[in-house]
Parts: sequence; structure tokens; C-alpha cells
Amino acid sequence: MRRKKLGLLLSGVMMLGLLAGCGGKSADSPNPSSSAGTAQETGPKETVKLKFFTGKVETVDLMNNLIQKFNLENPGIEVEQEYQKDASNVIKVKFASGDIPDITTVVEQDYIDQGKYLDLSSEPFWPRVLPAIKELSTDVKSGKQYQVATNVTMAGIFYNKKIFQELGLKEALTWNDFKANLQTVKDKKPDVTPIFIAGRESWTLGHLIEFLAHGIIKQDLGVKSSREAFINNESDKLKFDQENGPIDTFAKRLLELQDAGLINKDALTATYDNQKEAFATGKAAMISQGMWVVADLLKISPDFQNDIGFSPYPSIQDGTKPVVLSADDSRYAITAESKHPEEAKKFLEFLLQPENLKTYSEFLKSPPAFTDVTADWGPLKDQANQALSSGVNIAFTDSPSGFSGDDAGRMVQELLAGQYSTSVDFAKAYKDAWDKAWKATHR
Amino acid sequence: MNLLRKLWNNLHLFMALPAILLFGLFFIYPLAQGIGISLTDSNGMSAPRFVGLQNFIDFFHDARAKKDVYNTLFFAVGSAPLLNIFGFLYALILDRPFKGKGFVRAVVYLPAVISPLIMGYVWYFILQPDRGFLYHLLESLHLGTGGSDWLGNAHSALIVLVFINVWQFVGMTMIIYLAGLQSIPKELYEAGEIDGAGYIKSLWYITIPMVVQSIKINVVTNIIGSLSVFEVIMALTDGGPGYSTESLSIYILRMLYGSFTGYSTAVAMVLFAMIIIPVFIFMRYINKKEFEM
Repeated sequence: MRRKKLGLLLSGVMMLGLLAGCGGKSADSPNPSSSAGTAQETGPKETVKLKFFTGKVETVDLMNNLIQKFNLENPGIEVEQEYQKDASNVIKVKFASGDIPDITTVVEQDYIDQGKYLDLSSEPFWPRVLPAIKELSTDVKSGKQYQVATNVTMAGIFYNKKIFQELGLKEALTWNDFKANLQTVKDKKPDVTPIFIAGRESWTLGHLIEFLAHGIIKQDLGVKSSREAFINNESDKLKFDQENGPIDTFAKRLLELQDAGLINKDALTATYDNQKEAFATGKAAMISQGMWVVADLLKISPDFQNDIGFSPYPSIQDGTKPVVLSADDSRYAITAESKHPEEAKKFLEFLLQPENLKTYSEFLKSPPAFTDVTADWGPLKDQANQALSSGVNIAFTDSPSGFSGDDAGRMVQELLAGQYSTSVDFAKAYKDAWDKAWKATHR
Repeated sequence: MNLLRKLWNNLHLFMALPAILLFGLFFIYPLAQGIGISLTDSNGMSAPRFVGLQNFIDFFHDARAKKDVYNTLFFAVGSAPLLNIFGFLYALILDRPFKGKGFVRAVVYLPAVISPLIMGYVWYFILQPDRGFLYHLLESLHLGTGGSDWLGNAHSALIVLVFINVWQFVGMTMIIYLAGLQSIPKELYEAGEIDGAGYIKSLWYITIPMVVQSIKINVVTNIIGSLSVFEVIMALTDGGPGYSTESLSIYILRMLYGSFTGYSTAVAMVLFAMIIIPVFIFMRYINKKEFEM
């Protein structure tokens, strides 16, 4: 009996020893592959494979075309595209597991801080970039550029011009006018949703916070210091949990719309596709989106082109101004751990050639960020300029990577589902979630 | 000679070695590593620091985690018994001889073949208010209730999830019960009949004790499956509205994606315990029962 036990113990110890051996091996395993990588670089005429990682669903086909063109022009380099719906989160797993793409559209402040991207400051294309966009592409902390944007995008209220004309409505710049517009639509056209919210997609709700609530902060502090306030979590400037502060006000306004029945009944389960469909077919009078929506709207109904109106977001708080997002879009960054940085730069250069930028801009229906590109980018050209002059221009928010726009959007879902007893509770919960995520990466 | 014989006698120990190794490599080793990470404040990027049991303490103060535990338990307590009861009933009915038996069995089993993810999306389009299939169906029958947003309401969304899960996997449970039913020798029923046992009696004293192996498999797989539910929720509600239908396994993934690697691993450990404990208790109970019978 005792012997048996000893035998078991011995085999147990042996197993542990073997396991330890395995553990050691698996920890070493990345080495052979990386040495293979360097061998590829030095070896003669081996095809270099570049991984392009993107979260931009609307450009997948376009990028495939551009990539095909690049691969043909550049024998020896082969670019592959990988699209992920949840790209800003998936890239984290990629960084952690060593499966690192060479070039990506996903740029987060936390990863810049961690030195995950290559410094592009000395690349030759910068003089061609619009100064405002170059400023937005500049890292607040180091003053360097780790990313480059190809386009300017804008977001605001899209409205149906035909419905507006019919009902004699005008673009609203104050909250009361905005609400009055919605009410008029509701009263006079009961079949039309005054403003359609795509609440199943948490990113569209996250955007509402980013543009409306953060819009107050961004116009108060200006581009540079608001970016610093978000990145460094300066809570005295952000005032997230303050009563009648930006988040509280936002929550109140949204609930006002819900209570008055001015948003769609299925605001919590309607998808982005439902939203586009409803707007393009005249079943919704207004939506909040960015210019990325235009191409799809025209796909749904090509004649809609002349009926699309675009205006800034109304000011949601007394004493503030209306805002319109006007920011860098289609950002590219090369990863610092890329094994083929030279080839990746070559691909980036290709993407930034004027003719390719023109194609891109015309496809996306959004203005180019490069001064030497003239593109016929779409029906909103004049309206966009007008919106920019009637509202304060704001940029996207640099959120902590653990609290993405999706996470914020889920909180807005909770708000719409009635899970906060007051708007201040929502504001406090928002600050807690933001702080928690910020602390997780800043310690 | 003696040594050879000894080796021969202990051959079974060596035969088990590959299995033990694989088990160690793919289960024990990651588990140990997971326990290690769960004791740190790792964020997946900067070097982790040891924080002891802090993550587990945080877990018990985390309102979202509590909600997710509730949702997970609601889903499991809702699904597992229903799956077993309906699976068993279906098996009893479809074990009888009748025309087209194979076809009916296939129809009941079919949903289990399709990925829960796809199933979820299909149901999503059925249930959407104002434009879903169900809405149009109810509308055309003049039963104007299709407009309600089943998935937009936290309580009804959970119930819908349970319903879809049961509907999808009842066939799987049925198949295992059918296999159990078919292994029962007919002589037992004949003997029972001679002793004057009716349908209910023979069900209770013959059928159920004889399918105890199937019960074991079904209960255990249903507990594991429903406590670790993921796909159907992702497809149908994405955990929403808000976090009201989020399960623990979705929470683990989201925390992992966020910057909470250590915490996420700790939650994974809790879920592991939540699954292993009821399975362990059930196995002890049923083995004892089996012995008694």
C-alpha cells in the first residue's frame, strides 16, 4: 500500500518536471519564428507578407482593390487585409499574443503611450497634410506623430430636406428649437420617426456621448487642452459627475426625447442598418451620424442625394454653442514591432499617393486631409462648409482603452432602458467607469 | 525476466501517460497560469504586479459582476431543467413506433446542428419590433401585440434567451435519452407487466433507473453549457440593453479586451468554480443514488 503511494508520488513529480520543461519550451517558442522573419528579410527575393488590420467595415472592399493594385506594382511584397468588427479590442489580444499586424487603422492613446507604434514624424508626407489634421495627429505627450489620417470626417445631424421643406422647418441651433422641430414632425407626420436612434449598435450611442456630452468640454477647453484633459484624466476640467455638468445634461436631454416619444420605439434594438434604411426611405426625419453613412444611404436609394441635409448638433446646455465633429478619419499607424517597417512604409506611401487618396475620398464621400488632392467627394460639400461655420468644430475623444465608445454606448443603453433612477446617477456611474479604466493603464 | 513481468503488469500505467500529459499540458498548466495571473493587476501591456486576492475581493463588490452572476444563473436555472424535462419527454414520445419517426426526430434535432450564433441572428430578425417576422405574422392575424420590443426589455430578453436555448438544444438532449431508452431490455417491461405495473409505475421503476447514465451525461453537459453561455447572447442581445443580459463569460471577454486582464482571469476562475461545484455535487448525489438502486 505504502509502496503504491510512493509510486504515485514519484510519477506525479515526474509529470511536474515534464510540465516545467514544456512550459519553458512554450515560452521560448516565439524565438524561432522571429529569427525566421529576419532570415526572410535578408534572404534574396523572398515575398514579404504585410498584415493590414482594420476595423473599418465600410472600406473593406475598397482596400482590397487598393491592396491588389499595390501587390501588382510591388512584387516581393504581399499585403493581406484582416477586418475585425471589434478591432479596437481585438488588437489588444494581438499585441498581447505577439500576432502583431504591420499596419493598422486602430490607434489608441494607451498603445501610443506603450510605444506600440512607429514614429512617423520624419516621413516626407507631412507638408501635404492640412495643418488642423496634423495637429490632431500629433501625440499630446511626446509631440510626435505616430499616425496619419487620409481624410476629414464630420458628424452632426442629418435631416431630410424634403420633410423640412414640407413642414417649414429650419436647422435648429438651440435645444428648444431642436425639440420643437422634432415635435412638429411627430404631430404633423405620425408615420415618421422624428429622430431615429440605432441603439443596438453601442458605438452609435457612444458617439452621442462623444459628440454631445464631450462636445461641451471640447468647446470650453479648445482642441489642445481638451485633448490633454481627456488623456490625463483631469477630473476638475472634465466634470463628468457634476450635476448639470456635461454628462448629466446629456442624460437629461436624451431622456427628454424618450419621454416625449420623439425617438423610435425600438431605440434599444434597432441596428445601424435599420437606421440607414429608415432615413434613406423617408421613414425618419433625422439621424445623428457621421459622413461615413452617406455612401450607404445612396446605395439604399440613389435619388436621396438631393434630400440629405446636414447641420451641427444643437447646443444641449444654455450658454454653450452648437458643435460639429470635424476630425481626422481613416487613420493609419505602423506598429513598432513590425518585422517589415520599410515595406509597411512603402505601403503607406502608396495609400497616400494623390490618386489613391482621391479614390478613397470619393468612395467614402468625405473630404481629403491632403492639400494636393482634389476629389469630388459628394453631395454634402457645400452644406459641410456651412455647418462648419455655424458650429464649433470638435474632434474625437481620446478615451482610455478599457472604456471604449462601445462601453460608453452600453451605459447609454442602460439609461434608455430606465436602469438609472436619475441622470446624476448616470453621470456618476460614467465617471466611475472612466476612472477605473484610466487607472488600469496608468499606474 | 522479473523486471519484464513487472513492466507488463504495470503497462496500464504507461498507457495512461499520454492522456495524463495532454491533460496536464492543456488543462493543468493553463489553469495554474490562470490562477497566477488572477492574483496580479495585469492589464495585458505593462508588467503585472502581485495583488493577492484583491481581484476576488473586488469581484464581490462589483455590481456589474453581481448582475452577470444573476443573469448566468437565471439562464442556467431556466435552461438546464427545461432541457432535461422536454428532452426526456420528446425521447419517450419519439421512442414509440409510428410512421415518419425518423423525420420527426430529425426535425427536433435539426436546430442543434446550426451554430448558436447564426440561430441568434435568425431569431433577432424574427423578434424585431415593427419589422420582424413575428410582428408581421401577428399583425396579419390581427393580434396587435407584435410591436412590443421583446429584446429591448431586460426581463423579457432573458426569458427569450432561455426559450431559444431550450428550443435549440432539446434535440441534443433527446438523442442521448433515446440512446438510453433503446438500451433497456424489453424483458424488463414484460416482467413488469406480468407483475401488474402500469405505465407510470414502469416509467418510475424501470425506465428512469435504467437511463440514469443518460441523465448523468445530460445534466452535466447542460449545466456546463448553460453556465458558460456565450454565443446566443452575443448574437441576440449583445448582452444588452446595457448589461442586462450579459453573462459571466461575456464579461470575462470584455474585461480581457479592456485593460483588466488580471481581473478578467479572476472572474474566469470564479466561473470555473461555479461550474465545477454543482457538477461535483450532482455527480456525488447521482452516484450514491445509482448505488442504492
